[in-house]
Amino acid sequence: MTTATARIPAGLSVSAGRVLARFGVLGVFVLIVLAFAVLETDNFLAGENLKSILTQSAALAVVAFGLTVVLVMNEFDLSFGAMAGLSGAVAFTLIGVEGVDWRLAIVLCVLVGVVAGAANGILSAYLGAPSFVITLAVGTILTGIEFTITNQQTLFEGVPDAYIQIGQGNFLGLNIQVIVAIVLFVATYLYLEHTEQGRYMHAIGGNPEAAYLTGIAVRRLRLTGFMIMGAAGAIAGILLSAQSANSSPNFGAPLLLPAFAAVFLGSTAFRPGQFNVLGTLLGILFLAVLQNGLTLMDATTAVISIVQGGVLVAAVLVTVAGRRAA
Amino acid sequence: MTGTATATAPLLSAHGLSKSYPGVVALDGVDFSVAPGEVVGLVGKNGAGKSTLIKILAGAVDADAGEISIAGEPAEIGSPHDATKAGLAFVHQEFALAGNLSVAENVALGAGFPHRGPFVAWRRLRRETRAILERLDTDVRPEASLDSLSPVDQRMVMIAHALAQDARLLVMDEPSASLTEQEVERLHAVIRALAAEGVATVYVSHRLDEILAVTERVVVMRDGQVVDERPTASLARSELIGLITGGQKELARSRAERDRPAPDPLAETLLDVEQLTGRVVPRPVDFSVRRGEVVGLAGLLGSGRTEIARTIFGAEGRCEGAVRVSGRAVSVSSPKRAVEAGIVLLPEDRRREGNVLDFSVRRNLTLGTLARNRMLGWLPVPSARREHRSAVEMIEQLGIATAGDRQAVRWLSGGNQQKVMLGRWLPAGAEVLVLDEPTQGIDVEGKEELFEIVDSLAAAGKAVIFISSDFTELVALCDRVLVVRDGVLAGELRGSEINEAAIVEACYAVDEPLANAVKQ
Repeated sequence: MTTATARIPAGLSVSAGRVLARFGVLGVFVLIVLAFAVLETDNFLAGENLKSILTQSAALAVVAFGLTVVLVMNEFDLSFGAMAGLSGAVAFTLIGVEGVDWRLAIVLCVLVGVVAGAANGILSAYLGAPSFVITLAVGTILTGIEFTITNQQTLFEGVPDAYIQIGQGNFLGLNIQVIVAIVLFVATYLYLEHTEQGRYMHAIGGNPEAAYLTGIAVRRLRLTGFMIMGAAGAIAGILLSAQSANSSPNFGAPLLLPAFAAVFLGSTAFRPGQFNVLGTLLGILFLAVLQNGLTLMDATTAVISIVQGGVLVAAVLVTVAGRRAA
Repeated sequence: MTGTATATAPLLSAHGLSKSYPGVVALDGVDFSVAPGEVVGLVGKNGAGKSTLIKILAGAVDADAGEISIAGEPAEIGSPHDATKAGLAFVHQEFALAGNLSVAENVALGAGFPHRGPFVAWRRLRRETRAILERLDTDVRPEASLDSLSPVDQRMVMIAHALAQDARLLVMDEPSASLTEQEVERLHAVIRALAAEGVATVYVSHRLDEILAVTERVVVMRDGQVVDERPTASLARSELIGLITGGQKELARSRAERDRPAPDPLAETLLDVEQLTGRVVPRPVDFSVRRGEVVGLAGLLGSGRTEIARTIFGAEGRCEGAVRVSGRAVSVSSPKRAVEAGIVLLPEDRRREGNVLDFSVRRNLTLGTLARNRMLGWLPVPSARREHRSAVEMIEQLGIATAGDRQAVRWLSGGNQQKVMLGRWLPAGAEVLVLDEPTQGIDVEGKEELFEIVDSLAAAGKAVIFISSDFTELVALCDRVLVVRDGVLAGELRGSEINEAAIVEACYAVDEPLANAVKQ
């Protein structure tokens, strides 16, 4: 065909715009880190501070990785915040009130997460309800169940130190939460980028009709994605409740928006326009570093919110501009 | 009635238009003009530059160089809004109107709603819309919702939409897609009537018979340039084909030129469909296809061809009756099951259902056979090296024109996208291939290549079901043609019985064609 000869090989088609689109967000992240390193050298670069950045963002990262799996297939999940809250409540009730072994309790919590995720998946993938609305509804129900269990009280009694250590203890110099997040990052990355199911999920996100006609089990994979998300929400709940050594009513709710912000921010990096776990990780660190650095500079919460939002806007604009130039 | 004072100045005149994309010169110094009331045909292979030219005129793409003037005045077309103001209107293949709104509302979308105070003057809108529709000789009601109309009436509404904005030049891109022969006639009549009123048309199509029938002048593009311009009256079809292809190859393939031997009448029955009914196949269907056979499914739009194909493939859910592959009964309750049974489908709507456009050629090619490209047999992890190898093999076998297996499918031509879809199935050991309108929007050369691939598949012992609205293709390719009418197999043509006239007759026989009946 005539057009083929006119095209240049894909390997050579590197343009400034393309580089900007792929690595612009990473570049801005590096600049921000450098800025804080210069402006707040002693505080920001202190080992303890860097570790605390990681610890503070671990639970958020866990739900963001799960959310990436769901978003890759162009589905939404708005229930994971409620899931985290329920998970903490279930853990504290089983361990503190019912005297269940803490390890078994954790397994049961994750199981509850998987079941709640399966409810989302069945309602949306099999029964055809839009996931945006249905996960909002399921999330509301989960919070209701949590309140039923806890009577809307904060639970803090009867949980062994071993459980608390998950949120507060260290291993190899890192908080155990961080270790959990790193393990789940690697697992999610391998799953989405290096397994058949992961490839199919990307295909479903790109063209669900084509994926279906290729013989891909679209509904089952969507269900799987929601189950993974449910488990991630439950794990985040365990991490957070262990860290604070209590389970307060609906404590998972604040995870919701930052997780979406991180995943969308991440979707503007590395593979612009497509959700990817590496980008999600960058998004998490980006928001966490910004929060931490500005706090060190005595910025008020108001200022931090405005700057975080502004940076999000800027990152997206840089990517859009880069894509246009590419 | 083009005798206005400005008749000397062309309605549209473009000079020296050029446009390059990274690595591709899409348009190279093109001159193009249209006189008031003129009907101009614009032809060329895919990638010849037609779309780029249209996009520049529509204000969707900025030219790198060149100028455009409207009625002698230099015009700057930087946005679709500018194009509309200049009196240019575009009727696209894909309907760009709002299907949930009424005809009148759609017509008003461009021209603006008439209003009284802050409120829409509905009665006036309907009256004005009706007046325009009458000019188009259509009995469509302004209150009807666009979705409820037949394809030809929807196209009429698009024209009405353009006329409401005082368009003086209509650019129609493949306007006859999914229209029946009679509907195409109606469309052409409207184009001629508008021409008499001074409204010019640029008619872009791969269907050369239509170009020859409706246009006064033909502009031929090749490799981003206008290579020839002729009055239609002086052009023969074969000559036009020569101009389009650059005379490299004779492409008007006829049945006589088939070099594939007739299939063995005693060959194994590969696909056997018995008393098949389903959600979209209300009445039982029976047929079978042997190894090495290419069987055409002919029928008018809405006759149920696609529905039968999709049901066999499991894309329409559960079905009743039996489907057997090599004598073995298979359940085709989902595409997954059908694929496992060796039945594959190339869907009709390539853009929406075919490829994952953002995926690379490689990833599209291996999507159906990922499990064959594992790093280790038991681990569901695809090996990039194996995927690459199997993709390159397919690219070579099918002659897919791509800059490499990592090129995104989005950037391939229609014909090559079609080949990628086929290539997805060949390594899977597909035995029964159902090709639904595989030549839609593909240029002559691409069609010819596709035909060769179909021939070689049949020669390799596959069973092929070929669906096309273009009966000449069925004549050129098929060993047997089944005619679908009103959802049932109403006739069968074999060997020497297969010719265009016979197919047309079988399609229209007995009752009125469904496509027209629906309209009332």
